[in-house]
Amino acid sequence: MTELMTLQNVSVHFPVRGALPFLKKGEIQAVSNVSLSIHRGEIFGIVGESGCGKTTLASTMVGMIKPTAGQVLFEGVDLNSLPRDEFKKTRRRMQMIFQDPFSSLNPRFNVYQIVSEPMFIRGEDDEETMKARVAELLEMVGLSAGDMYRYPSDFSGGQRQRIGIARAISLNPSFLVCDEPVSALDVSIHAQILNLLLELQEKLNLTYVFISHNLADVKKLCDRLAVMYLGKIMESGDSDKIFAQPLHPYTQALMAAVLDINFSEQKETEILPGDTPSPINPPPGCRFWQRCPKAMRGCKAIPPEYVEVEQDHFVACRLVNGFPDQDMPEGYDQPLVRLKTVRGR
Amino acid sequence: MGEGRVMEQVLKLRNLKVVFPTDYGLIRAVEGVDLDIYHRECVALVGESGSGKSVTSQAVMRLLDSPPALIRVDTLEFAGQDLTQLTEQQMQEIRGKEMAMIFQDAMTSLNPVMTVGKQIDEVYRRHYGDSKQAAREKTVKNLELIGIPEPKERANAFPHQLSGGMRQRVLLAMAFACMPKLIIADEPTTALDVTIQAQVLKTLRGMQRGCGTSLLLVTHDLSVVASTADRVYVMYAGKIVEKAPVKDLFTAPHHPYTVGLMAAVPRLSDEKKKFTQIPGTVPSPIDKPSGCYFHPRCTYATERCRREMPRLTPMGPDREVRCFHPLSVGRNGHD
Ligand SMILES: Nc1ncnc2c1ncn2[C@@H]1O[C@H](COP(=O)(O)OP(=O)(O)OP(=O)(O)O)[C@@H](O)[C@H]1O
Ligand SMILES: Nc1ncnc2c1ncn2[C@@H]1O[C@H](COP(=O)(O)OP(=O)(O)OP(=O)(O)O)[C@@H](O)[C@H]1O
Ligand code: SF4
Ligand SMILES: [Mg+2]
Ligand SMILES: [Mg+2]
Repeated sequence: MTELMTLQNVSVHFPVRGALPFLKKGEIQAVSNVSLSIHRGEIFGIVGESGCGKTTLASTMVGMIKPTAGQVLFEGVDLNSLPRDEFKKTRRRMQMIFQDPFSSLNPRFNVYQIVSEPMFIRGEDDEETMKARVAELLEMVGLSAGDMYRYPSDFSGGQRQRIGIARAISLNPSFLVCDEPVSALDVSIHAQILNLLLELQEKLNLTYVFISHNLADVKKLCDRLAVMYLGKIMESGDSDKIFAQPLHPYTQALMAAVLDINFSEQKETEILPGDTPSPINPPPGCRFWQRCPKAMRGCKAIPPEYVEVEQDHFVACRLVNGFPDQDMPEGYDQPLVRLKTVRGR
Repeated sequence: MGEGRVMEQVLKLRNLKVVFPTDYGLIRAVEGVDLDIYHRECVALVGESGSGKSVTSQAVMRLLDSPPALIRVDTLEFAGQDLTQLTEQQMQEIRGKEMAMIFQDAMTSLNPVMTVGKQIDEVYRRHYGDSKQAAREKTVKNLELIGIPEPKERANAFPHQLSGGMRQRVLLAMAFACMPKLIIADEPTTALDVTIQAQVLKTLRGMQRGCGTSLLLVTHDLSVVASTADRVYVMYAGKIVEKAPVKDLFTAPHHPYTVGLMAAVPRLSDEKKKFTQIPGTVPSPIDKPSGCYFHPRCTYATERCRREMPRLTPMGPDREVRCFHPLSVGRNGHD
């Protein structure tokens, strides 16, 4: 399998203007030193809680955000070093589907206008060609050509998401980022959209990045994945390996937090204490230490390295990778004593 | 449940109907809903978007504006009182003190320019006539109980200075302030992250048991129901389609819609690259299908289902299902 997209030490920082009095001036480290590779033809998952930098990372992949540092390579070429024309051309091969099917479509455009817009922008001006293509796309996503002149408000959430998908695939992209495409949808529709994405992948030879906070979806859908926390990757690599043996305490906590509907299996689970800390001027050390049930004293000060612990399975955790041998303060590998953990049903 | 239950009824709702007249036609949001909630139990009202959950719960608290809503109800009894006979002023006294509500979006239910401590103090001052100091003492104790670290300091924070999970806890603290008989929580954890959701649900459930409150939990999330509720009402297109104790519902769902919903919830133990779906979409509230509202999406639908609306029919202790062809335990296997 070849690599389609490679991120090398990518960071995205946003300045904080200090407009809000309770915030100290500084910067938001939305994405911090992320390296990963996405293989051609796979579904790559990005999981993590709100604000951990998933959307920012994905926007960087498709060239919507320029990284503060590091490189984004698409088919081996640094996206941000391309001349303008080339950049535009390459960008067309990457598309994004958004979470909210209600606000991501322009309510004043009809379906034909929405779906054909990318073609129009590219310079297509033959009405008949575009109509035929839109009809074809609508059929492909499970709508009908007859829906062409209706408006977004006439459609349900799931149908609007289908319109968004039709638009995203209109220019035959090879790389599609789906940013929480089903989070806003009902469960019964949820599965329909994910099945559609799978079907299109096969038909059109697509590579997906699938962003989600639902681990169960990611497990079912993705070949490889990255677990993010506060702008950093905690664990990444082969999905089967990670789910068979999650090594990072955060991945383990996320898995434990998936409420199961198998009633007989309702179990006492460890609930992760505390809140997600702010990404503004994050502390040194492991970004997860404040909530980590297994943190050691050294985790507070020394950030873990991101290490490949087995083939295609990366982990950033001192529990797994150990501390450096030298210059360690006394008791660095002793457990950190803190708030009691809450227990759940 | 069964014999063991103290049959003290907190809420009795019979035949609630709510319609909204609009330019496009009549929206039948709630069509004849019955609801019973007993002392100390957690009842879940679960259904997909637009099924009428919020409208039902708002009608119970008499919070629905009419107009635009047209409301009809045969019985609305709360702790033995007929709520339909009360004036708005009497209702206001009940709300907050005997019945409280927790909404999904803490940011819009809290006053942005008042410290959260002060907002909880207000509840004590209004309902018990407490002094400023006495109220604050109770507030701090309450915040501590709900799991807010450094409650004394946090009481002086404004809503925007707290995280989403923390704000939701403040709402819980406010709702439990007067030890109400009933709390209605409308999607209380939907906006929260998974790990925070687990914390807040745990706290909610713990407080509810500790305080002896009854809870009506409104949600679209079956996994929340499985981990929290005692009894469940499943709603579809404005009607209750199944009612059951939580264990019975999850081990042997009877209504084809319930069965489909459960199959559609992704699980960590599932097969890869395949999602079980329910075909079709929820009907438009203006143009509902003939017969059983679920028939266009139902694998078991027959001619009768297309023609006639099934009634909510008893199926064993504490269970009811609205379907001509309910799935028995034996038939569950093949879907
Ligand atoms: N344009 C921006 N300017 C300043 N800060 C930003 C900007 N975009 C994102 N951020 C901040 O960067 C962090 C990461 O945001 P991002 O939207 O990538 O998170 P996310 O993981 O997609 O979250 P969610 O699950 O809520 O969508 C957040 O703290 C966010 O507030
Ligand atoms: N003020 C209103 N005017 C017109 N229609 C309304 C009004 N309020 C609710 N409805 C309609 O009543 C129906 C039921 O709405 P309700 O808010 O109870 O759904 P819900 O089950 O709570 O859904 P959700 O999960 O999306 O919150 C919907 O079709 C909705 O559009
Ligand atoms: S009544 Fe008929 S259509 Fe409705 S759920 Fe039962 S079998 Fe399906
Ligand atoms: Mg996002
Ligand atoms: Mg609602």
